[in-house]
Amino acid sequence: MTPGAVTNTLTHLEKHKLIARTPYRGIKLSDKGRAIALQVIRKHRLAERLLTEVLRMDWSGVHDTACELEHAMTDEMIRPLEKMLKEPTTCPHGNPIPDEAGRLHEERSEPLSHFKPKDKAVLVKVTEEKPDMLRYLASLGLMPGTIVEVEEKAPFEGPIIVNVMGANYALGRNIASIVQARRV
Amino acid sequence: MSCHAVIEKAIQKVDMTVALAGNPNVGKSTLFNGLTGLHAVTANYPGKTVDLNLGVAKYGEKKVGVIDLPGTYSLDPTSDDQWVARRAILEEKPEVVVAVVDASNLQRNLYQTLQLIELEFPVVIALNLIDLAKEMGIRTDYQKLSKLLGAPVIPLVASKGEGLGELLEYLTKKAAAVTPRRGSTFDVHLEQAIHRIEEAIKSDLPETPLGLSARALAIRLLENDAEFTKLLRQANRGTRPVELTEQVGKSIESEYHEPASLVIARQRHELAKQITEAVQVRVGQPLLLSQRLMHYAVSPYTGIPLAIGVIAAIFAFMLTVGGFLGDATSLLWAKFASPSIRLILTTTVGNGFMSQVLLWGLDAGILAALSVGIPYVLTFYLVLSLLEDTGYLNSAAYLADTIMHKIGLHGRSIIPMIMGFGCNVPAVMGTRVLTTRRERILACTLITLTPCSARIAVIMAAVGVFAGWQYAVAIFGIDLLVIAAAGWSLNRLLPGKPSDLVMEMFAFRRPRASTILNRTWFRFKSFMLLALPIVTIGSMALGAFYETGYLQTLLAPVNPVMYALLGLPGVASMCLVVGILRKELTLQLLIALAVMQYGPSASNLLFFMTPLQLFVFGLVVTLYFPCIATMSVLTRELGRKSTLAIMASTIALAILIGAIAYRALPAFGILG
Repeated sequence: MTPGAVTNTLTHLEKHKLIARTPYRGIKLSDKGRAIALQVIRKHRLAERLLTEVLRMDWSGVHDTACELEHAMTDEMIRPLEKMLKEPTTCPHGNPIPDEAGRLHEERSEPLSHFKPKDKAVLVKVTEEKPDMLRYLASLGLMPGTIVEVEEKAPFEGPIIVNVMGANYALGRNIASIVQARRV
Repeated sequence: MSCHAVIEKAIQKVDMTVALAGNPNVGKSTLFNGLTGLHAVTANYPGKTVDLNLGVAKYGEKKVGVIDLPGTYSLDPTSDDQWVARRAILEEKPEVVVAVVDASNLQRNLYQTLQLIELEFPVVIALNLIDLAKEMGIRTDYQKLSKLLGAPVIPLVASKGEGLGELLEYLTKKAAAVTPRRGSTFDVHLEQAIHRIEEAIKSDLPETPLGLSARALAIRLLENDAEFTKLLRQANRGTRPVELTEQVGKSIESEYHEPASLVIARQRHELAKQITEAVQVRVGQPLLLSQRLMHYAVSPYTGIPLAIGVIAAIFAFMLTVGGFLGDATSLLWAKFASPSIRLILTTTVGNGFMSQVLLWGLDAGILAALSVGIPYVLTFYLVLSLLEDTGYLNSAAYLADTIMHKIGLHGRSIIPMIMGFGCNVPAVMGTRVLTTRRERILACTLITLTPCSARIAVIMAAVGVFAGWQYAVAIFGIDLLVIAAAGWSLNRLLPGKPSDLVMEMFAFRRPRASTILNRTWFRFKSFMLLALPIVTIGSMALGAFYETGYLQTLLAPVNPVMYALLGLPGVASMCLVVGILRKELTLQLLIALAVMQYGPSASNLLFFMTPLQLFVFGLVVTLYFPCIATMSVLTRELGRKSTLAIMASTIALAILIGAIAYRALPAFGILG
């Protein structure tokens, strides 16, 4: 893309009141532009869900296909698609899906230590700085996107037992409290 | 001897070498025992607490050296066991790596198998526990699994010896034909990224560290492996691949919204899942008794009563069987071994000083080692192996975690801590279940403060009988308070943070007598080999000092100090010194010396000691550094420096608390 082409595109976008330009400061999306962008993001993330859940594609590779699909999807198909996918709030990578009004629901997550036996949860993030620990937990499958089921929980801030991909792990309360999860 | 040297020595006369790799509790040790029998040796990397077992399997004319790696979930060196497992494979370069895989939990097991395949080793899959998988309603397509992994699959039931012959036949006859599988595990993007780093490694590095393939090294770098990154930075022209990796890693992170190491782990799990779904079908999902039992064992209402029952049963077992074995050992020794040793020594060396010193070592010394080894170490290992083999150990650890966490330990330390009440020696050896050095130092210090059966005997006989049972109970109470306080403060003093529990909970398994006996014998043997020479030589040294009278001379200036600080009579310091041989000797010697000094009526301790003195004596005996056998295992487990530190601090603690008790109790009108 040449600098000229960028200027042309920006002028075009400004004419349609999608962006606001301040000379030497940069550009900003207008409210109208932001709304359209959010709807594209919505389609993209729904497309990713469709690819992983219905077509059973590997979720690490669906991003590119979703980039193509997001432009081919019509507004009419979005609601039926959402219903079929059981109203997902995040894409397979854990990013939030905007709603019809373009609202981004912040992912509601709470520490795994708050869950009770028989609860099922999808892990959202692991708030751990040490890369070694993060990698160790990941090797056991404890990483964002994994669905776990709480099997048992010891009283008095004791450890918690979770089932991860068929294996049961006892996690100390400190670890359980750095693993953020969302009820499913 | 370094680990490498031990392994070299053990496997030099074999036709080929294989390594057994796999997750914990997949029957790897059972397979190892089944393949190699009883003649195993262990090797240890300096500074690492995890052992490698080495043995030789025979198949026809062929001898196969077998390295049993520690059970691990991953080859990422984030813990000692994983580091040792990876290091041993990379350094020893076995002809074949046998990936022992649990058929009843295939997906989780395949994660590490995929890592082994990534390292481009010739891998043979030993698919174990196929009987359990069938019981759980899981059908596996072995051919398809073999095709998808690009590695031969041998189904096994290691505990019944099924499939072992086939495995050995394959290893000895066809293993040469097993070629390392090369193939992509990851998606196109990631493969491209790996390829870029691989090319940089190939063009820049004449040789890779530990002979890793360029692709394997590229994956390791991208996974942010600290060890290889450091090795490469030190290597000639190694910085460019490292810098390229950083750059590639950043672009992966911005694309996938998570660090490259997680993307790689995620895709491995994904592949493991796809392979599992392709080769296994579940017909029905019966909840097995073993799984239900695990739930009863960890649920508070059923688990805690069960735990109390199990601990009571262990103590009952150790008291009855251990007590019987202890009495039998002493009796047989006094009846047969002791007189023969005396006879041999007097006829060969004569009756002089030399013979007396040798008697200290060969008679009292060996008896001291045996009287710890047979009744306590042997029975403890039998119990520990049983708890491990059934899977109950982990349930107990789960239940105890809440309490143990308060003193900086996690639940896995509960069993060695409790065993400390029987004998400190196996308890110290049992701290191997703990993963970090910090926890091991903490646990070992607390164990040395735990009153073992010998100290309990001294407290009961000296304090309980002559001063009153309530004072004996008070000593136990003070000791427990000291343990709790020591744990609480050490947890704050030692550098680092307590590590948190991450432990797999296994479904219970029916224990196998052969596995348990094998493991018990193996551990008992290694204890005796360690303790026997140290205790014998230590006894002789002590004996030489005693027989020459040097000990009395040396202690002469100490005696007034003992009296001033603790109010103990002169003979007490001698008893405390000799007590390092065996704690019960403190009391036996106290009575013997008193009788020598004051006449037969001194066998009533009150004849020459006040109840307060007896109380202080009991307290000091309980707290000061334990016996020589514990010292020898501590040195092996923690090194000389930490052992000396524990020794010095427990002696100081014993004198401090003894001195306080000596002064404070009469001030409150107790025992005054």
